[in-house]
Amino acid sequence: MIAIEHLTKRYRTTVAVDDLDLVVQPGVVTGFLGPNGSGKSTTMRVIMGLDRPSRGRATVNGQPYHDLRDPLREVGALLEAKAVNPGRSARNHLRALAASNKIPYSRVDEVLEFVGLASVATKRVGDFSLGMGQRLGIAAALLGDPGVLLFDEPVNGLDPEGIRWIRDLFRSLAAEGRTVFVSSHLMSEMAVTADQIIVIGRGHLITQGSVSDLTAAAKGAVVVRGNDRERLERVLRAAGATVEIVNDDALRVGELTAEAVGQLAFDEGVVLFELTPERASLEEVYMTLTAGAVEYGSGAS
Amino acid sequence: MSAHPTLASVIRSEWIKFRSVRSSIMGVAITFVLTIGIGALITASIRTHWSAHPAAHIGFDPVTTSLGGTLFAQFAVGVIGALFVTSEYSSGSIRATFAATPRRVEVVLAKLVVLVGSLLVVSEVAVFVTFLMGQAIYAGVVPTASLSTPTVLRAVLFGGLYLTLLGIIGMALGWLLRQSAACISVFTSLILVLPIVTFLLPSSWQNTIGRFEPSTLGQSMESVSPPAHAFSAGASLLVLALYAAVLMAVAAAALTRRDA
Repeated sequence: MIAIEHLTKRYRTTVAVDDLDLVVQPGVVTGFLGPNGSGKSTTMRVIMGLDRPSRGRATVNGQPYHDLRDPLREVGALLEAKAVNPGRSARNHLRALAASNKIPYSRVDEVLEFVGLASVATKRVGDFSLGMGQRLGIAAALLGDPGVLLFDEPVNGLDPEGIRWIRDLFRSLAAEGRTVFVSSHLMSEMAVTADQIIVIGRGHLITQGSVSDLTAAAKGAVVVRGNDRERLERVLRAAGATVEIVNDDALRVGELTAEAVGQLAFDEGVVLFELTPERASLEEVYMTLTAGAVEYGSGAS
Repeated sequence: MSAHPTLASVIRSEWIKFRSVRSSIMGVAITFVLTIGIGALITASIRTHWSAHPAAHIGFDPVTTSLGGTLFAQFAVGVIGALFVTSEYSSGSIRATFAATPRRVEVVLAKLVVLVGSLLVVSEVAVFVTFLMGQAIYAGVVPTASLSTPTVLRAVLFGGLYLTLLGIIGMALGWLLRQSAACISVFTSLILVLPIVTFLLPSSWQNTIGRFEPSTLGQSMESVSPPAHAFSAGASLLVLALYAAVLMAVAAAALTRRDA
C-alpha cells in the first residue's frame, strides 16, 4: 500500500505537488493520470525517497521509504527508461542492484528471461532500443519480487506487442495481491489497464475512483422520446432538469438519471418510446476534468 | 551512524559497477601508461644528457625525477574518481542507486571504499614499478637511490598516496558538481591554474600560499627532501588528506539534503 498525506513539493519557483492526499491499495491496478507537468513523476520520486517533500509525507507499507531495509524487496520502480550507464551490460546493471539488497544473482537471470532480454544479457545497454531499455527497467523493478510496484509512463517506446504484454503483466501482478501504481498521460491507455484511477492536474487531486464511478459521475445525459413532448418537457423542467429539444418528439435531459426520468413520465402518464442514458467516454471525462489544469496547452482548445 | 549491516553489500554493488564499465578500466590503464611511460621517457632523457649538463648534478633527486609521470597520471586518477560518480548522474542511474540504497551516505562510503581500494593498488604498483625502472635506466651513469633508504621508500610510497588522494578529491567534486565536464575543469584548475595565479602574487605571499597547493604538497610528498618553503612530506600528506576529507564530508552533507 502507498499512502500520501498532505504532500507538497515546491521547486524554486514552481509548486509541483500541492497538498496531495492519496491511498493506493493492493490487489488492483491504479492508474495515475494527469497532463504533462501535473506532478505525477514528482509524486513518484517523493514516494521513492528521491525527492524530499516540502511538506507532508509519503509512506510505503506504513514506512517512509528511507526506513525500508533492503527496499528493492518491498518496492520496485520504473521511473525512467534507460537510466543505466550505457557502457554496462544489462546483467551487470541488475547484478549491481541485486548485490546492494542481498538478492541472489540467480534472480537476475530469472527476470532477464521473464522480460525477454536473456539473449542480450551481456550486451551494452547503450545499444538497446527504447523498448528494450523499458523492458530492462521493468526487470529491475521486478528484481526483488516486491509487493509494491511503481511504473512511470511504462508504455513509452513499447511496440503494440509490448504494450499488450505489459498490460497483462500489470493485471497479473495485481491479481497476486500486489500494489500496482501506473502513471500515464493517456486516458485511453488507463481505461483498458487500470481498475482504479487517480486524476491530478497542476499538483492537485482532481478526482479518484473506479473507472465505472468516473464515467457515471460525469454529467451524462438521458435521451427520452414519448407521445407528449411538451408535457414531458414541462415536468422535467419542474423537477430541475436541463432539457434540450432534439427533434419533434425527443428530448435530451441533463441532471436527472434515466430512472428519475422514467418515473416522472410514468407519474405524468406519458408513454415513452425511448429512454437512453448517454455515457460520456472516459476520455471525454478526463478531458473535461483536466481542461483547467493543462500546464502547456496548445492555445486553441 | 554505526556500522550498518548492509554496508558490505553496497560495497559489493559499487565494485560491480566500478569494474563493469570501460571508463574505469581505461582510467586505470592510462594511469599505468602515464606514470610508467613518462617516467621512462624522463629518466632515459636525463641519462642521455647527464654528462653534457654538469650544472644539473647539484641537488639532483633520482627519486622525484623517476616519479615524474605522476604529474600526468594525477589527471587520470582525478577523472577516474569524478566519473565514478558523474556517470551515474549523466545516465540517470543514480536514481536506481538511491532507490536501492536510500541511505545515501552508505552509497558515498561504498564508492569511496571501492575507489580507495582500487587506486591504492594501482597507484602504488605504478609508482614502485616506475621508480625501479627509473633506477635501472640511471644505473651506471646517473646516481641512483635505493628503497632500503627510509626517506626514499617514504617518497615512493607517498607518491602512490598522492595519486589516491587526488582520486578522492576528484570523486568529491563529482558528488558536488554532478557533471563530468565541470569536475574536470575544476580539478584541472586546482592542479594547474592555482600555481599560476599564486605565481602572480608578491613573493612573500607565494611562499605562504604556495605550500597549500595540491601540486606543491605532491612535490613535497614525492621528494627525499622537500622543496624550500614547502611543508614536510608528512605534513603535506596530512594537509592533502584533510582537503580530501573535508571535500568528501561537504559532498556527503550536501547529498543528503538535495533531490536526486
